[in-house]
Amino acid sequence: MQAPDLVALRPSDDELAQTARLLIRLRWAAGLSILLLTTVARWGLGIELPAKALLALGVVVLGYNAALVAEARRSGRPAATARRTLWGQIALDWLAMVALVHFTGGITSPALIYFVIHVALAGTLLPPRGARGLALLAALIVAALAGLEASGALPHIALPDLGLGGDLHRRGVPALAALFFFSTTALTVAELVARQARRLRQREASIRALNEARAAFTRAATHELRAPVASGLALVRSIEHGYLDELTPSQAVIIERVGVRLDGLRELIDDLLDFAASREASVAHPPLEAVDLGAVLADAIERERLLADARNIAVQTPPRTPIMVRAVDTGLSMIFSNLINNAIKYTPDGGIVTIGHAVEHEAAQVTVTVQDTGIGIPAADLPRIFDEFFRASNAKRSKIVGTGIGLAAVRAMIEHYHGSIALDSVEGEGTCVTVRLPFNRQR
Amino acid sequence: MARKILVIDDDPDVLLATRLPLEREGYEVYEALDEAEGLEQAKSILPDLIILDVMMGTHTAGFQLAQELHGPDAPAVLRRIPIMMVTAVHQTTPLRFRPESDYLPVQAFLEKPLDPRRLLDEVRKLLPPEQTGE
Repeated sequence: MQAPDLVALRPSDDELAQTARLLIRLRWAAGLSILLLTTVARWGLGIELPAKALLALGVVVLGYNAALVAEARRSGRPAATARRTLWGQIALDWLAMVALVHFTGGITSPALIYFVIHVALAGTLLPPRGARGLALLAALIVAALAGLEASGALPHIALPDLGLGGDLHRRGVPALAALFFFSTTALTVAELVARQARRLRQREASIRALNEARAAFTRAATHELRAPVASGLALVRSIEHGYLDELTPSQAVIIERVGVRLDGLRELIDDLLDFAASREASVAHPPLEAVDLGAVLADAIERERLLADARNIAVQTPPRTPIMVRAVDTGLSMIFSNLINNAIKYTPDGGIVTIGHAVEHEAAQVTVTVQDTGIGIPAADLPRIFDEFFRASNAKRSKIVGTGIGLAAVRAMIEHYHGSIALDSVEGEGTCVTVRLPFNRQR
Repeated sequence: MARKILVIDDDPDVLLATRLPLEREGYEVYEALDEAEGLEQAKSILPDLIILDVMMGTHTAGFQLAQELHGPDAPAVLRRIPIMMVTAVHQTTPLRFRPESDYLPVQAFLEKPLDPRRLLDEVRKLLPPEQTGE
């Protein structure tokens, strides 16, 4: 394995794919511009040009660009294709650039300056030393072209209509001056671009390290906070359920109160950690992947079922089918555990919680509904129900333990997955939460 | 003869909370506070069931022990013992775990905080009473 700082200073797959996309767009523009400008200059303005050669060059550029696009589509993995073909693409572009410079006057060509764009583009992908090398290579290629044309080994194409006629290319001082300014520009631009690219990558690497450290801390804190509460709760329950000696009625009441308080503490810790995770997701943007919503829902229902069984609440579940959405497994699990837990918690004993899902093919999304026959939310509280630490007035009056951050965390996470959440409720009748999530379309 | 259950957890309170309901139900309970002691006990006692905490010490100690007890290199006497894994919470481990035999050699999962009734239900599923007449 390589040292992490070296790896971090290389362009990521994402960055390579982005550069490849930019190159494709620039190339369409370049090819079309060559065709258009040549046509206008030659037949519109009557400027003397090697029009056929230039038109052929335009067609070649558009042609290999089309082939690259087709290849990326065929492979279905644009990032991998980019990594494989990027340097080949750059080499082709450089050859096309040399041809363009040659056909428009060699060292006297007004198109020479475009070479700097190519140097800069390649420079973003290389460390400064590599970028300088590349700029030097560009200078050498241009010098070689100028030399070949000056010596007559390659025919020089003059553009007298642009004031670039005569033997300008053969006169040493103007040619050397043009070469000097070209080379120094290319070198400086390459250096500047490569330095900036390195600086950005270093910063990106340190942000990533920071995020990883924070995630590790959260995991450790989660365990350290949850473990003592969980063992306390387990002990209290084993007394509560009579696995020790019989309790007096007043002892039983106190043990029950301790259990309720510990349960509240457990819930607070869970909610706070979920909330931290949702905040972290919105900052760190963990990569979204294809997740089976059907499996996540089934797991979440299974986890919360005990709570429902204990209070004689019927949980009606949808048929289990695989539904692929773009999300993060743990986040999706958090969302539906929270929603189902809420539905059960705020439903009186003997009520019904109904979970359903519907696939909407036209909208390319899935809708999940969690409906309960619970205490509902007063109309006046609905607008604030997703606010952090906000609890509906009837929930606060009830003895039900809650923190008011569960829904805030759920909404933040859903929005991070490009979905939406809506909530309908009638106080005293029940609540229906609707979550919409886009399909996973990436293959 | 009472069925033997080995409980492996680094938290003595969890061990106690697990022991109380199990003993009340007539199981013979053995305890181990870390994975090394757990492996040792498993070999010497050859229990009928192992209840294993997933997050001992490191985040993966429980998994490693499960692999040692049930992996392809484990002796057959150990591989026959069912394992019930106790997980703190689903969300916080970097690893995925579900009772899938091809991924983790574990027969059941139980979530913390332990609910004694749920614990006994799961134990009964893994140790059906009709086999106790030996």
